[in-house]
Amino acid sequence: MSVTTIAPSPRAPARRIPEQVLRLGIVVILIAVIIVLGCVVSDRFGTMNNLLNVYEQSTDLALVALGQTLTILTGGIDLSVGSMISLLSVLTSGLINSNGDLVLPVCAGVLLLGMIIGLVNGIGIVVLRVHPLIVTLGTGAMLQGLALLYTMEPAGGVPDGFDFLAYGRVADISVGASIVLVVYLLASFLMRRTATGRHIYAIGDDRHAAVLLGLPVRRLTVLVYTLSGLLCAMTAIYLVARFGSGQPYAGANYTLASVTPVVVGGTMLSGGRGGVIGTLLGAYLIAILNDFLNFLHVSTEIQLVVQGLIIMLAVSAYHEGKKG
Amino acid sequence: MLSVSGIRKAFPGVQALAGVDLEVRAGEIHALVGENGAGKSTLTRIIAGVERPDAGEIRLNQEVVQWHGPAQAKAAGIHVIYQEFVLFPHLTVAENIFLGRMPHNRLGFIDHAQAERRSREILSRLGITMDVRRQVRLLSVADQQMVEIAKALVETPKVLILDEPTAVIAGREVDLLFDRLRRLQEAGVAIIYISHRLDEIFALCDRLTVIKDGQWIATRPVAGMTRDTLITLMVGRDLAHLFPAHERPPPAQPEIVLQAQDIHVGSRVRGCSLDLRAGVITGLAGMVGSGRSELAMAIFGGLPMERGAVTVGGHTFRRITPGQAIALGIGFVTEDRKGQGLAMLQTVGANISAANLDSVRRGIMRDGAREWQIAEEDIGSYQIACRGPGTLVSTMSGGNQQKVLIARWARACHRVLILDEPTRGVDVGARAEIYRIMRGLAARGIAILMISSELPEIVGMSDRVYVMREGSITGFLEKDAITEEAVVDLATHDRQAA
Repeated sequence: MSVTTIAPSPRAPARRIPEQVLRLGIVVILIAVIIVLGCVVSDRFGTMNNLLNVYEQSTDLALVALGQTLTILTGGIDLSVGSMISLLSVLTSGLINSNGDLVLPVCAGVLLLGMIIGLVNGIGIVVLRVHPLIVTLGTGAMLQGLALLYTMEPAGGVPDGFDFLAYGRVADISVGASIVLVVYLLASFLMRRTATGRHIYAIGDDRHAAVLLGLPVRRLTVLVYTLSGLLCAMTAIYLVARFGSGQPYAGANYTLASVTPVVVGGTMLSGGRGGVIGTLLGAYLIAILNDFLNFLHVSTEIQLVVQGLIIMLAVSAYHEGKKG
Repeated sequence: MLSVSGIRKAFPGVQALAGVDLEVRAGEIHALVGENGAGKSTLTRIIAGVERPDAGEIRLNQEVVQWHGPAQAKAAGIHVIYQEFVLFPHLTVAENIFLGRMPHNRLGFIDHAQAERRSREILSRLGITMDVRRQVRLLSVADQQMVEIAKALVETPKVLILDEPTAVIAGREVDLLFDRLRRLQEAGVAIIYISHRLDEIFALCDRLTVIKDGQWIATRPVAGMTRDTLITLMVGRDLAHLFPAHERPPPAQPEIVLQAQDIHVGSRVRGCSLDLRAGVITGLAGMVGSGRSELAMAIFGGLPMERGAVTVGGHTFRRITPGQAIALGIGFVTEDRKGQGLAMLQTVGANISAANLDSVRRGIMRDGAREWQIAEEDIGSYQIACRGPGTLVSTMSGGNQQKVLIARWARACHRVLILDEPTRGVDVGARAEIYRIMRGLAARGIAILMISSELPEIVGMSDRVYVMREGSITGFLEKDAITEEAVVDLATHDRQAA
């Protein structure tokens, strides 16, 4: 008699952990390869000093990509990040205008404003029922317009010491980058061990099923865009600290750039698969790659081209992996 | 425990429910029966809070309730096992079972170990041992169904609705499921059981409610009913009327028009061979997910075959593209009307001529007048209910959309027409029409391949039937050998006799 009619899956028992580790492993190996190549190119590349610089330089990309990871995990995307960063950065330096007393209130206001913009994005998506791509493309255009209305050139300035956020180091290790690292570890833990975290994955995995299950799909959608807005505000403040003032095109490259570490880190654009640690490693990979290209005296324009290539390669590589 | 009365619900173009009553007592297993499209699933979704009724009330424990979303219904103790799985393929088995109510530790963080332990317990009550850390997508369809059932057993629900839970499981699993349901019944759960398999209803249920075309027909105790009285209630007329007779008897020695040999498509189709004959309707039966659509798609060139060959019109193809298939006179009416078939925002005329643009061409220009004329002919001969060739397809009912699609391919194909679930989501009146059209095409000498999950349709329409299971063809039936029992047997059981 048929004892069981369950067909054993032909493939060997594939568990979740190895798959994830495999993905992260690829990124780690790529980082290692670049370090080795860098050491061949220049004996300064492999020095602790240079690697710590790279660590520091990963900060802005890692910040903005964290929010992007969340929106992409829900099956969406936030294309307004670049314009949001531009607007918030000119507001930060413009309103502070080198007045030390205004640093805290303005920064708090900018963080709040970032969340509000993200909130508007999220509400727009769930109320209009329009794909996030369209909604955020629209708000992005508006925000860029507002930034240019506010100023056409670098605005205001910040008091001395503000650059500690960007360049501050304790025991030679970047404070900003370390804070970001801690935030990532925390986010990773929360994504794994809270209901909200699992629900974000579930929404991206199968939105319809999440609705049927009664998960708070709309609320969580709004939440991830709000968090993306908050992280953009943090990125904007960080950039002001790094460059001394906000610029109306400061964020222009970040829309594309924020997606790169996400997909390189193994998060699928279709949602529901991937994770924040992959994104952090992805950001490190991009930072060290750019540093490597600098050592090769490759111009920033070409670096953009390389980044585009990497996105395409990463997406197609992981896609192949899925089929196998 | 649960009673609904006077429920009405309209969707654009269809009155899905037009006054349905249903009352289920605590400790009762109540069958909800009716044909496809009768409104069972819509009623389920309304009770579960997914859809809001246009009229009517739901009472739970005598109290009128109004749901503002599924979470509320869930919190009130209503659990639904949908026919379409509510599973997240990339989450683990344990996460799927507990999602929305994950056990957590004192700090409020998810306790994965506990979720995994309890998942194993629940599954073992269903007689299943599986790795609860596996991603659900890696499970067989039957195991996925068992995970879906396990979700209902985490907390004892007040009301449990099962929509076709046995569509993809068989044998021992069904026994274990029934055993569990009887225990829940003893515990006082009100159970609504939806199934097409009448034997199950007689074996399991206390009472049954029949709905038809969105209307309540009858509620009766199962004891004392016969299969025939139930079918008469469900269909409301003889099945013979629904399935028209042959316009002329199928040819005794029909010519083989298309031959597929040893087709492989990934793991979904594993070495299938079949042939189609002129003027004959060949059924392709099997469970959802058994590889039927993939096999048909491969024959049409919509999916690449890794191995195998298709012989048609004297040519043998190891690779075939949809363009070649169409040129050879093969048509394909897809299962997914909206996604793959119709251009919803275009007119009836444009949709009908879409696969045979050559016939409405003058030079390189589209001949609008000719297109209009063709469309008018087809609207007449297929009795498509619309205002004319200029009607937008998106404004029409499912049945009429399907007729448009069939009209398109009937014009484009002269050898083979493949129909994938031709009557899914189509009301009974339009179904009879579609069957009549199919008979007419067969009488013209076209070889028809009809994929269907509906046993009466397979039995009523097919002259010969292939049955698939898990990517292989497990049997072939002809003429009088085609019975519901024989098809189910081949579709669900391991092939042991063969």
